[in-house]
Amino acid sequence: MMVQRLSISALTGTIILAGAVFSLATGGRADVGAAEIWQALTGPGQGVALTILQDIRLPRSLAAGLLGMTLGVSGLILQTITLNPLASPAILGINQGAAVGMIGALIWPGLLAPEWLSIAAALVAGFVTFAISGGLAGRIDPMRLVLGGVAVGTFAYAAVRFTFTLDDVLAQQVLRWTVGDIADLRWSAVVRLAAIGLPALALSFALAHRLNLMALGPVGSQSLGHDPRLTLILGLILAAVLCGVSVSVAGPIAFIGLIAPHIARRLIGGDHRGLMPTTALCGAGVMLLADGFSKWLLAPLEAPVGVISALIGAPWFLWLTLRAKELH
Amino acid sequence: MRPGTLIALLGLALAATLCWSLMVGAVPVRIGVVLNTLFGLDGPRQDFIITRSRLPRGLLAALTGGALALSGAIIQTILRNDLASPKIIGINAGAALGVLTASLLLPKLSASYLPLAAAVGAALAAGLVFLLFELRAVSSARLILIGVALGLFFEAIVDFLLITVPGAAVSGPLIWLTGSLWERGWPELSLIWLPLTVLFAITGLLSYRLDLLRLGRAQAVGLGVRVRRERLVLLTLATMLAALSVSVVGVMGFVGLMAPHLARALVGWRHRLLLPAAGLIGAILVTFADATGRIIAPPAEISAGILTAFIGAPFFIVILWRNRREVQP
Repeated sequence: MMVQRLSISALTGTIILAGAVFSLATGGRADVGAAEIWQALTGPGQGVALTILQDIRLPRSLAAGLLGMTLGVSGLILQTITLNPLASPAILGINQGAAVGMIGALIWPGLLAPEWLSIAAALVAGFVTFAISGGLAGRIDPMRLVLGGVAVGTFAYAAVRFTFTLDDVLAQQVLRWTVGDIADLRWSAVVRLAAIGLPALALSFALAHRLNLMALGPVGSQSLGHDPRLTLILGLILAAVLCGVSVSVAGPIAFIGLIAPHIARRLIGGDHRGLMPTTALCGAGVMLLADGFSKWLLAPLEAPVGVISALIGAPWFLWLTLRAKELH
Repeated sequence: MRPGTLIALLGLALAATLCWSLMVGAVPVRIGVVLNTLFGLDGPRQDFIITRSRLPRGLLAALTGGALALSGAIIQTILRNDLASPKIIGINAGAALGVLTASLLLPKLSASYLPLAAAVGAALAAGLVFLLFELRAVSSARLILIGVALGLFFEAIVDFLLITVPGAAVSGPLIWLTGSLWERGWPELSLIWLPLTVLFAITGLLSYRLDLLRLGRAQAVGLGVRVRRERLVLLTLATMLAALSVSVVGVMGFVGLMAPHLARALVGWRHRLLLPAAGLIGAILVTFADATGRIIAPPAEISAGILTAFIGAPFFIVILWRNRREVQP
């Protein structure tokens, strides 16, 4: 049963990934399609197509895939520890908090590496939202969680926009990631993302069992001798690290962390040992598709990938709020 | 202190804030010069700065702040939920979407149609909220969540429009979206003062019905109120108030949330007193935020909407925290 489910999810994930990579190869600014790239790969390794593939397309797609994984898993952890299907890094204000950290890194360069500053800020935002919702005391109120997250996020965004007015150069740098853009990501960004993102993903997978217990609800999990508060704090830290590092690379991309866990849950069900890797794959797939769309939709121009993901994700969120029974 | 005295004091505070907002900015003007200019007295004057730029701006800030506050007060009463506001239930974002769609897709459209576009967009959001609330009878707590989602959806479309419409001037809308009175003056004021005044008057006339609706559905029906119709009328009123202010000053967050709360703390729940108090407080908030935004980093300006968010978001969190027993859905 388990094996069968895993193989289903692996198959689905692979198809999503393959389709997304294909859409990536065909889109884009330069006049290089799938055929040219295939030629460059199989023939003698020379030419424009190969250069474009190696230096532009490949790192960008890798970054998109990694971002989808980190954001998706971050969203899954948050949804489980809050027992709330509406949770995601963007809704809880963690994304926006991380963006404030990035501004800090621009204003005081050399204080800390931007990744870590953004992770620290994401963590602060997450803890504030959790404190508002009563999560640190052990009982999360779903309404206050979402509204508190919106308030924290709005406050953080006010801080981000505040810096626009301070300095024009700064404003330009900041504006680029307020929507979430991966157009200029090259290998260095992929390395930065992988260096923190992959270990954090591995740690998240190790947390899967605790998350399974958490999903039983407070009564069920405590009767099995599990301390929900420890899982809550560990999960929050991991979610903040995953979300912080992705924001530091690509800006606050919203809604991937919301969508990916929902798709994965449909595919494989609620067991986090299978759900977690499936979420990562689905996140990567959705993100790659969004990236492909962002290049294809307005070709030869590009729409930032964050805008595309918001256009897909916001109606989804609306639909979730309309039908979520847990809130009654 | 008697409520009447309190409202008079709020009026004085608004006058003082307006006066102060005329004094401050990239070029500070002394109070004597301001008074000379305003009342046409002898002595040194600053006609250009005061009458051409700061006076209409201050008046606009006061009017739109008052409108947002009244809108928030009405919405909080008819939904019977402290956390509601035109921004939270998605009306502001709807208005913003209407204005941006009109101005980006029809660049030749005269600016005087923008309030109409805002009203259409806001009515879209409010209509959905109303339908859900009345027909599907969702709880007001969930309605707020739906409003948040609707707002996010509209914002996503706004972002998409801003980025994809070819040749769009983006910096103007970006400033406007944060809520700013930058480069606003007599033309905008002449456009909205009359409709807003009419709406203020209607709101005042309906204050008694708000008192009744506040009692809750069962009691209101028992007292002979046709609840659904009254709610529709009042929600339309609140939507128009918010839409008109958004069409001019953009998405000014949290004013509609904060002002009614502060007003209730001062004068209590009776809308005959609550509405004027909330309106005055809203006017003071926006005027103050606009003036403060001009003196933080002159000659650059901080958008008033950023400052209201800085105050409003923590305020909202405090309300959430204090209501933690009550908001359970």
